Amino acid sequence: MAESEEEVDVLVQRVVKDITNAFKRNPNIDEIGVIPCPEARYNRSPIVLVENKLGVESWCVKFLLPYVHNKLLLYRQRKHWLERDALVDITCTVLLLNPDFTTAWNVRKELLQCGVLNPEKDLYLGKLALTKFPKSPETWIHRRWVLQQILHQFSAVDVKQPHQGEAEQADAERGQELSEHLARTLHQEMKVCSEAACRYPSNYNAWSHRIWVLQHLAKGNVKVFHDELSSMRLWVSMHVSDHSGFHYRQFLLKELITELWQAPAGTTTASSQHQSSTGSSSSPLHQSHSQANGESPGAEAAAEEERQLSFSTLIQLFYAEMELCSDLIQSFPGHETLWSHRRNVFYLWQNLRREPHQCSSNGGVESVHLSDSDPVLPEVEAQSAAGQKEAVNGQRNEPMEVDGASLPHPRDSKRLKRGVPLPAPPALPSEYSFVNSILDRCTNPDQRRFALAYKKWLDTVIGQQP
Amino acid sequence: MGTQVKDVIIKPDAPSALLLDKHADYIAAYGSKKDDYEYTLSEYLRMSGIYWGLTVMDLMGQLPRMSRQEIIDFIKACQHECGGISASIGHDPHLLYTLSAVQILCLYDSVDTIDVDKVVDYVKGLQQEDGSFAGDKWGEIDTRFSFCAVATLALLGKMNTVNVDRAVQFVLSCMNFDGGFGCRPGSESHAGQIYCCTGFLALTGQLHQVNADLLGWWLCERQLPSGGLNGRPEKLPDVCYSWWVLASLKIIGRIHWIDKAKLRTFILACQDEETGGFADRPGDMVDPFHTLFGVAGLSLLGDEQIKPVNPVLCMPEDVLQRVGLQVDLLS
Repeated sequence: MAESEEEVDVLVQRVVKDITNAFKRNPNIDEIGVIPCPEARYNRSPIVLVENKLGVESWCVKFLLPYVHNKLLLYRQRKHWLERDALVDITCTVLLLNPDFTTAWNVRKELLQCGVLNPEKDLYLGKLALTKFPKSPETWIHRRWVLQQILHQFSAVDVKQPHQGEAEQADAERGQELSEHLARTLHQEMKVCSEAACRYPSNYNAWSHRIWVLQHLAKGNVKVFHDELSSMRLWVSMHVSDHSGFHYRQFLLKELITELWQAPAGTTTASSQHQSSTGSSSSPLHQSHSQANGESPGAEAAAEEERQLSFSTLIQLFYAEMELCSDLIQSFPGHETLWSHRRNVFYLWQNLRREPHQCSSNGGVESVHLSDSDPVLPEVEAQSAAGQKEAVNGQRNEPMEVDGASLPHPRDSKRLKRGVPLPAPPALPSEYSFVNSILDRCTNPDQRRFALAYKKWLDTVIGQQP
Repeated sequence: MGTQVKDVIIKPDAPSALLLDKHADYIAAYGSKKDDYEYTLSEYLRMSGIYWGLTVMDLMGQLPRMSRQEIIDFIKACQHECGGISASIGHDPHLLYTLSAVQILCLYDSVDTIDVDKVVDYVKGLQQEDGSFAGDKWGEIDTRFSFCAVATLALLGKMNTVNVDRAVQFVLSCMNFDGGFGCRPGSESHAGQIYCCTGFLALTGQLHQVNADLLGWWLCERQLPSGGLNGRPEKLPDVCYSWWVLASLKIIGRIHWIDKAKLRTFILACQDEETGGFADRPGDMVDPFHTLFGVAGLSLLGDEQIKPVNPVLCMPEDVLQRVGLQVDLLS
């Protein structure tokens, strides 16, 4: 085993080179790992490539990491010069072993800025690091930075659009290319998040990254949100204690409410509103989406039609979500996550179906909360200030509607006239009867505890006495 | 069909008395026996590591055992031209380590050994148009960084140098339906983020914006049958989350809503009787991070062998008195 400083030096340089060569030999490496192996037993490289898996024998890690780590820090302090290629290789090795070493990612950001690295290469490195360290906060942070760079590229091309003749066509083609590129990037990010979510349960960093990606790459794109909601259905059903996965569904539902319901007429208007209200966040995918939809002036009837469709879509979404939640609660008793999900979905529904001036059940915070963050009912800011003094525990001044299904929403009348049958959306009485039915035949003490807590939550937060 | 609530079982022979001397010895020896590999792995957070070790020593009345001058020199060497402070020499500056460094210097009553004006400029420069704070020049946004920014400025008495109103607006925009907070608007509630956000609102005098009953409810639901607290539903209990949840409850005036005796039992069971120090859960490996939050948690629970700790800054109250910083909490 190597011991002296020179021996370590030679060994480590060889290993770093082996890692670089492994990536050259197989550009499709999809997972990294450490192979338990306390001592070097054969005269061979500690870097093992089997199919698409790259392994490092554990005995060499304790030499390798301090060496490359210190070399990089000496470079950072300008005490030791490294060529760009060497920097690329060294940061790659360091980060695969210790992906929370922020400064190493920063070195790569600089390399990316001066064109030595391309964004895809870094997204790939991050993806590999996440196969071994699925939580690594710095890896996710770096990913977001790289994605911002890709977005900037996109908006740079977008701005140049109004041109003449051939230049215009070239730009249009380039725009199309970039837009496809973005769609691919979005798809890839969703995949990376899913993998990390499978490797570590309730992976906060993976799920909050997924939300960030949608907010920045697909803002206002109803189709993407819809697809996400349906593709996650099976996943959450198989991960009933993954609170982060269920929170993601809550996020999707809330965004869909904003896009389908709060938007006054059609998605095009929704998008322009959104962009002005969110300011800095660009949504290139959505831009192309709304452009594709086209603007049709004077199409008020069509817009109204679309609204009705939107509302029935929402009712169906909520119905399906509550059904899913009920099924899972009954099939997998005693999961706090499922009960917590029920609270949120029901809360969102209550907010949606209530008239704006009644929409304050979040205690004393809603004037600020709703006006800035909560996209559910942006127009209530002024009125809610008057209503916000309601008691925290939901003692309301005004009587609240009880049964959402039986009271037609004003905007809902057309649907009713047409007589399209819709499923019954969740309502307070049905929630109480659901809890009671669980309590009646409940033998699981945890299930009982969560059911009682849900009932108490209905009593106090939703604000109705049984 | 039975379910298993994710929790631990505390064995009858688990430690039930506080082993302060052992913990002090553990921390005092921690820096000296550094294995090259282990040391390298955690160097990216060294400054915070020093803050954890020194704070727990101070809470136990053992700060003089640590090498004050060496640490101050180290911090000075970590301040960069831009004013920000890095985790260690040669690393890049970041708000996380800038706060840790300022906290350490407050423990040592020697803030003036670094360029304070530059620190203030650094923090100020990281505030964004929407009031949020980036963690460093590369722009990552997180409510943790909002906390780091105002905590640093509060300790330096320079809160008025940033746009506090906008900073508050941003943090409130991360509030969720359950009364909790996440890292960014739309993100899941998380006990660590809730600690940062309630601490932030305490420092900026905006705690009335919190729905204390609703949030207190969610926080109390973090307590498991073992007595330990988790950070989110269906996660295992952990000493560090016990601190973040407990401190948040203290900040919003609802600490009496949990079973304090059971929590104390859980925290004490996370001690290692042989090596000293606390682990995340009973029987796991100890580290300085969980040792600080174990001891600080016991202090909040009223243990009189430990100095009173401030729930917002996780520093001894006497240090904050010396700094002249008084943080109002909800009652």
